[in-house]
Amino acid sequence: MAVNELSPDELARYARQLGPGVLSPKGQLRLKNSAALVTRTGGMGGPAALSLVTAGVGRVIVAHGGPMISPDLNRQILGCEQLVGGPRMPAFAEYLRTMNRFVAVEGIDHEPDDQEALELVRRVDVVLSCAPTFDERYRLNRAAVAAGVPLIDAAQWGISGTLVAVDPGRTACLECVYPEEPEFEKDFPVVGAISSAIGALAALEAIKILSGTGRPMFGRLWMIDAYQGISSIVELQRRADCPCCGAARAATTTS
Amino acid sequence: MQVRVVFSGRSYDAAKSLPGSLALPDGAAVDEALRVLAELMPEGRSLPKSCLVAVCGAHLGTVGSHRAHVLRDGDELVLIAPVAGG
Repeated sequence: MAVNELSPDELARYARQLGPGVLSPKGQLRLKNSAALVTRTGGMGGPAALSLVTAGVGRVIVAHGGPMISPDLNRQILGCEQLVGGPRMPAFAEYLRTMNRFVAVEGIDHEPDDQEALELVRRVDVVLSCAPTFDERYRLNRAAVAAGVPLIDAAQWGISGTLVAVDPGRTACLECVYPEEPEFEKDFPVVGAISSAIGALAALEAIKILSGTGRPMFGRLWMIDAYQGISSIVELQRRADCPCCGAARAATTTS
Repeated sequence: MQVRVVFSGRSYDAAKSLPGSLALPDGAAVDEALRVLAELMPEGRSLPKSCLVAVCGAHLGTVGSHRAHVLRDGDELVLIAPVAGG
């Protein structure tokens, strides 16, 4: 249920992010009345979820299955040595709850299938796709487009990463950018610092969208290549024949 | 004419073998630049068909499927091999 005002304790908690150039009190209230889905919550999704929770997004749903293994700890900052060999999710969700008592955190201990992804997306106002495979990314993209919910796709390899912000039906979706599933290795190389950087930027985009702050980067791909010390912005084009969001698809689904 | 080249994304280390700029005949199209770059890739490596192609920030498509575009002197050709990661 939506609330109409922030409590004095909440205003005190968020004092450093309220004011000119950051969030307005109205924007902070919008965050409180918003929900976000983050899947998964590993190298990028963990820092992203943490940033959403500390910023005050009212409900944060996090999804990630499987046990933690030692190599995860180079980047999965919601984990710790004691979790190695055990399931991530109960501990990840509980850690997030300890970071902000004004936020509800819902943990899902598996990767959603097509149907569950769509159901989850319909419960939120923004989706952060931080999955390790294109198969999962396409699934979240399809769900976000079908539900009309904004999507931030965060991706990484090595010491580089990309962000794509999708405003369904108005800007290019992930399948417009990558019409065919690209080749990608299961055990990709990555330095944890780039994971945190890309995850935090994904969260920042979500916070901007949810709070109405600044100018969201809808319709753009932002490539950050820390290896070469370069960054590029690409203004994305929608594909009329996109099977996910294109005009042909819209005509089919409305007929 | 000279065209700046940025290659990034997955396997960006391959960019070490690519020049930061290409000398191309006036009026050359993106396809010509891609053909030259493909020849300069390290042995056994190729430009992925799924690689995003953009010129001066404008999205043209992928290496495998993109709009025709005539390059101009000073343009920046950006190639981004898709990344996922989690």
